Amino acid sequence: MAAVVEMSKVSKTFGDGTSIIRALDGVDLKIEKGEFVAIVGPSGSGKSTMMNLIGCLDRPSNGVVKIAGEDLSMLNDKKLTELRNYAIGFIFQSFFLLPKTTALENVATPLLYRGVHSKEAKKKALSMLKKLGMSDRATHGPTELSGGQQQRVAIARALVTEPSLILADEPTGALDSATGKQVMDLLTELNQEGITIVLITHDLDVAKRAKRRISLKDGKIISDTKGAA
Amino acid sequence: MNLRIAARLAIARIIATKTRSGLTMLGIIIGVMSLIALVSVAQGATSGIQDQFKGLGARNLTISGNTTESLTIEDASEIAKLPGIDVVSEQVSGNATASSENASTRIRVIGVDVDYETIVEPDIFAGTFLANTDFAQDSRTIVLSSALATSLKVDASIINETISVGSTEFTVIGILDDANGFGNQGTAYVPLQTAFRYFAVPPYLNTITVQTTSEELVPLVTTNLSRLLSSRHNITGDRDADFTITDASQLLDAIGTVQQFLSLLLGGIASISLVVGGIGIMNIMLVSVRERTREIGIRRAIGAQQSQILTQFLIEAIVLSLLGGIIGVIIGEIVAYFLATLGQWNFALSPTMILASLGFSMLVGVLFGVWPARTAARLKPVEALRFE
Ligand SMILES: Nc1ncnc2c1ncn2[C@@H]1O[C@H](COP(=O)(O)OP(=O)(O)OP(=O)(O)O)[C@@H](O)[C@H]1O
Ligand SMILES: [Mg+2]
Repeated sequence: MAAVVEMSKVSKTFGDGTSIIRALDGVDLKIEKGEFVAIVGPSGSGKSTMMNLIGCLDRPSNGVVKIAGEDLSMLNDKKLTELRNYAIGFIFQSFFLLPKTTALENVATPLLYRGVHSKEAKKKALSMLKKLGMSDRATHGPTELSGGQQQRVAIARALVTEPSLILADEPTGALDSATGKQVMDLLTELNQEGITIVLITHDLDVAKRAKRRISLKDGKIISDTKGAA
Repeated sequence: MNLRIAARLAIARIIATKTRSGLTMLGIIIGVMSLIALVSVAQGATSGIQDQFKGLGARNLTISGNTTESLTIEDASEIAKLPGIDVVSEQVSGNATASSENASTRIRVIGVDVDYETIVEPDIFAGTFLANTDFAQDSRTIVLSSALATSLKVDASIINETISVGSTEFTVIGILDDANGFGNQGTAYVPLQTAFRYFAVPPYLNTITVQTTSEELVPLVTTNLSRLLSSRHNITGDRDADFTITDASQLLDAIGTVQQFLSLLLGGIASISLVVGGIGIMNIMLVSVRERTREIGIRRAIGAQQSQILTQFLIEAIVLSLLGGIIGVIIGEIVAYFLATLGQWNFALSPTMILASLGFSMLVGVLFGVWPARTAARLKPVEALRFE
């Protein structure tokens, strides 16, 4: 079976001529099913750029990125979008819930985009909210929820599509440490259920919870360590 | 995501931004409202005139001579022998100067026979129309059009008083109530024989009016008349006829043409404001797409296809314009109703007009929604997510 993420000699550049920026520079990386990977590195080191490639939101300038066995450079926008919808669950630092939309509708939306009937989508969304202890907030909008609650809804939205990969960019960055710990507990639990998790973070304490840590600097991988820190 | 969900999203959005949506729709509302109201004015006003003519003249045919010496009294008596004809009325006309104590003016004097009243049924404002005794005695009695009474600065008190026409004194016996009629400016009516004595040369007639026994016979009688007069006037081969036969249907057609033209003109003007309304929608939709760049990025990240984003924004524009159209139709019909009451014509809801207005506003929504929707759909997911 194909690796969840496979990168070989991947570069990503922005701009051209003299002002060219190498956000990623010859990265080789393989992430297998069931891993829990933290990507760390200083600001501007290329973490978000890497996350965009793994999340099928962008294509590399050079090299090959394969997600769930699919070469991104070979896919058109429609296929990339399908891959995001079916294979990946996104969790963002600032939650990114849809505004003026209830928790239930937020969670149901990815299913609607893949053509699931509205009733069925809501049923699945509600059971996912229940699993995350948020079913009593189903009809609340984002502005009526605390940060931790919003992140739980966002996680429910990421999970409802049953993705093979959860991609989390600073998921605890906007939360206090207690709430952040709850979110990390949740991710650990999901990983134990078999879901692959890629986590981007500044926070070394958070990174320690992962089974594997990859350090980036100037667009290059400078260390890749496995096992508990 | 099917259309129903896109529509629900659009409606939710429109409700969530009530004030802005209302203002955005205003252009469409005003456009559709004026479209409905103006076209109903054009149709109402002209159909009033049409009804008047239908009431009068559906059975009538008018034969006019193309020169002053084309038609004769003899023609009229031969026409009277044709089948399918009820009444034949002869008219001549001449010009003269009329003077009252207060003013004087050039007028057209029309000599009419006893049957004229039967066919034309003129409305009388004061006094009476020419009576049998007037015809019998070829008397110097005269009936004024309301426009002429105004020109001569006389009112109902002139009845049974005299005015001079040419060098002759005439007794005024009536004033017509023809304020809304056509071509009656400065017109006066006298008995036929009186006209022959003072203003016209017998045996020539200007017009002969024929009333058929039924409306259905009008085409047949027209053909017979044409045949009869052509043979009497020796019109053969290439020679153009020296007479013209008109019936009410031609007049009604002409009014219909005016009505269509007016509707198109007024409708066209109103459509311009509808287009301006469309530009308003496009403007706000573009602003909205910009404001919602982040939201679009999120939707794209979690699996919205470009086509689904396009549908969402396009439906939003269409719902806005269609909703504006519906409100515009309702207000427009209310305005049309009040205008009809004021103008005293019949108010009728026109389903064609309503459907056309709604169709047009929807079209405006599509046309002016496409660009913003395409802009939204073509945003790059990464950049949309980074947008502050
Ligand atoms: N769209 C872009 N256009 C131009 N330059 C970009 C773009 N995206 C990223 N970069 C540049 O690429 C480099 C890597 O950026 P990236 O966002 O991946 O860093 P990061 O590790 O996520 O940093 P942070 O921890 O601050 O989020 C930076 O120098 C950044 O300025
Ligand atoms: Mg970043």
